[in-house]
Amino acid sequence: MSSSWGLSRDQGMTFSLRAGCRMASVLRAKVFPLRQATYFHSETNLFATNKNLLVKLRKRTGYPFVNCKQALEKFNNDPKQAEAWLHEQAQKEGWSKASKLQGRKTAEGLIGLLQKGNCTVMVEVNCETDFVARNAKFQQLVQQVAQSVMKQYQGKQENLSTYIKSFLGVDELSQLKTSSDDTSLSDQMALAIGRLGENITLRRAVWVVVPSNFFIGSYIHGITPSHIISPSMGFGRYGALVICQPSEQSSRNRFADLGRRLAQHVVGMSPLSVGSLQDEPGSEMETKMLAQPFLMDPNVSVGEYVYSQGVAVLDFLRFECGEELEMAEVEPVCHSVEN
Amino acid sequence: MASLVMLSVCRTAVLRSCSLGLQQLSLQTKQTYLSPASCFYRILHRNYAVEAKKVFVRDKPHVNIGTIGHVDHGKTTLTAAITKILAETGDAKFKKYEEIDNAPEEKARGITINASHVEYSTANRHYAHIDCPGHADYVKNMITGTAQMDGCILVVAATDGQMPQTREHLLLAKQIGVEHVVVFMNKADVVDDKEMLDLVELEIRELLTEFGYDGEQTPVIIGSALCALENRNPDLGINSVLKLLDSVDNYIPIPSRDLVEPFLFPIEATYSIPGRGTVVTGILERGIIKKGDDCEFIGHNKYIKSTVTGIEMFHQSLERAEAGDNLGALVRGLKREDVRRGMVMCKPGSIKPHQKIEAQVYVLSKAEGGRHTPFVSTFMPIMFSLTWDMNCRITLPASKEMVMPGEDTPLTLILRQPMVIEKGQRFTLRDGNRTIGTGLVTNILEMTPDDQAKWN
Repeated sequence: MSSSWGLSRDQGMTFSLRAGCRMASVLRAKVFPLRQATYFHSETNLFATNKNLLVKLRKRTGYPFVNCKQALEKFNNDPKQAEAWLHEQAQKEGWSKASKLQGRKTAEGLIGLLQKGNCTVMVEVNCETDFVARNAKFQQLVQQVAQSVMKQYQGKQENLSTYIKSFLGVDELSQLKTSSDDTSLSDQMALAIGRLGENITLRRAVWVVVPSNFFIGSYIHGITPSHIISPSMGFGRYGALVICQPSEQSSRNRFADLGRRLAQHVVGMSPLSVGSLQDEPGSEMETKMLAQPFLMDPNVSVGEYVYSQGVAVLDFLRFECGEELEMAEVEPVCHSVEN
Repeated sequence: MASLVMLSVCRTAVLRSCSLGLQQLSLQTKQTYLSPASCFYRILHRNYAVEAKKVFVRDKPHVNIGTIGHVDHGKTTLTAAITKILAETGDAKFKKYEEIDNAPEEKARGITINASHVEYSTANRHYAHIDCPGHADYVKNMITGTAQMDGCILVVAATDGQMPQTREHLLLAKQIGVEHVVVFMNKADVVDDKEMLDLVELEIRELLTEFGYDGEQTPVIIGSALCALENRNPDLGINSVLKLLDSVDNYIPIPSRDLVEPFLFPIEATYSIPGRGTVVTGILERGIIKKGDDCEFIGHNKYIKSTVTGIEMFHQSLERAEAGDNLGALVRGLKREDVRRGMVMCKPGSIKPHQKIEAQVYVLSKAEGGRHTPFVSTFMPIMFSLTWDMNCRITLPASKEMVMPGEDTPLTLILRQPMVIEKGQRFTLRDGNRTIGTGLVTNILEMTPDDQAKWN
């Protein structure tokens, strides 16, 4: 197949193949009767890499066979060193792959939602096909992004009188440090690009914190991951947060369910503004949240529903994977409201 | 002669599981005016085989095949190589990479996969070849009936080996019921190391086995689509592609077609012909009807047995009619009021009506003319299938609380009355005057007393 020295190389390989990989050669023989002959005339084993080690290394790391083999050759079949080198190499290759794939359209992806105490983070990471979006590796990346945002803002929630929401665009996101080690998110992205071979982009993130007497309702709609990474983390194609302030007498234990229903409404009916309780209940085309018919019970408006529950809706956020963004939204805003 | 005008209506697609559904019946109308006076003598003539350009000759069995695999592993190059090689024997039209890649349907991803975009023939078969751009895209096209895969070619680059998302590719193949996969290990010209190829092959066989495919018997062809396209290294190039086509021919079975099944004839209209009796008309969905066959009418809570005493197509009497034929059948001893549109005439005992089904449903997005808002379990649409329509109730799967427009989802549907509905049958859901989705029956369920009570 290759040039002058390729012959002896091939022979060496077929030898070890005969020893360890008989199954494949038998199968191959069915498909490739002409090639069969080449498997049975080798004498010397010039192929230094131990095949079992190679398969193990590939299984454990998931890096391409070519790289695994190179690593083993380089470190004389020391799997530990080889693995370390592979990780190092993956970072470099990830970066070169990332720059190669840059500009390819990423219209698929996931919204990730992470809730911790009175903080909630919602992020969007995009990729090229939904096959990748369904893969556990990609979901781990989304989780990493969400955790990094969470970590960045931790400790900034003391003595709040109202809620704070803060948007992060692509640039701030890629500079964030990951929560586990000290690499930046853009390094992690490059790694994932190298591994998954698709262009991946960090799109946006929002971080919301509320005082202890408020609550955040959240809902995520779409793919249910086959393997739950962490119970506080949700993935989907749509995500919504609703910031609510309950009145004194409303009972706390229903908030999770109530907030979830309201966020579900936001995902489904995609309102553009909150509106006020004084708004006339509108039709299905209404864009003010409180005037919209409530998704779970279209006979009442959202305003009537939350009033009956003794809760005020202050704000909401809705992410739809791959939706067109208005420029203003991407810019970082620190927002607060007087009550 | 001068007064004769041909108005031929070519139905290029005979997809008719629902007259109001998504399936578009493309009608091409061709008129030739020989004289102005001839306008008065128009003859509407239905003709299935006449096409303006080229006659499609059905001389080989047809199979739908698709490619799946990572975006950079060379699916499009392989497709181009296949057409190039088969074009030399006149069995395909060569499509360049750019033609396939830049085709409007690839650009407009997510709207529709054009199933007939690439077609070719081997010595034994005719193939429609599709690419599968995404999971949701494919499932949607499968439900609506615009794309179908009887088998698929998994393309894996020998350089990378399988990718993490190869699992998701096989998961899709499994979900849509593809039972036979052939693997093409592409880019083998770049790997100058045979053992490496073997390891990649071993690994992919392992993965196939893990997903319930026959990993040991699955053909894995090693080659290079680029070599084939650029006419170099014939062993990895042209020969490997020919070997692949050979494996596809031999390993992917021809799906059973409709002619061998007991006949099923959904009734579109009924007529009373004085002196002869009752005639039912429609298009034969599947099977063959012969004069003298016993038949049974089912639907709308009726079961009536009778005999077909005559078959007519275009005012000519026939001895037998085949699936796809538009015909009228004269039936013995029935009054016109006994049968109505929506009922089905079938071979006695061959089918039963059902009331509760499980289905995979695609809900049209707003841009496709569907709903603007999601629906929840309280939703009651009208189901249209074959020639009938019936109110139904829906139940969402346990993991879902609502269904967004543009999404596909499994649903359980309960009809108000039992109607003819079988596994694999397509239907459309409508709400008021709007089509909201299409579905494909995946399972028939038994009614429980609770289900029944909801309708009373």
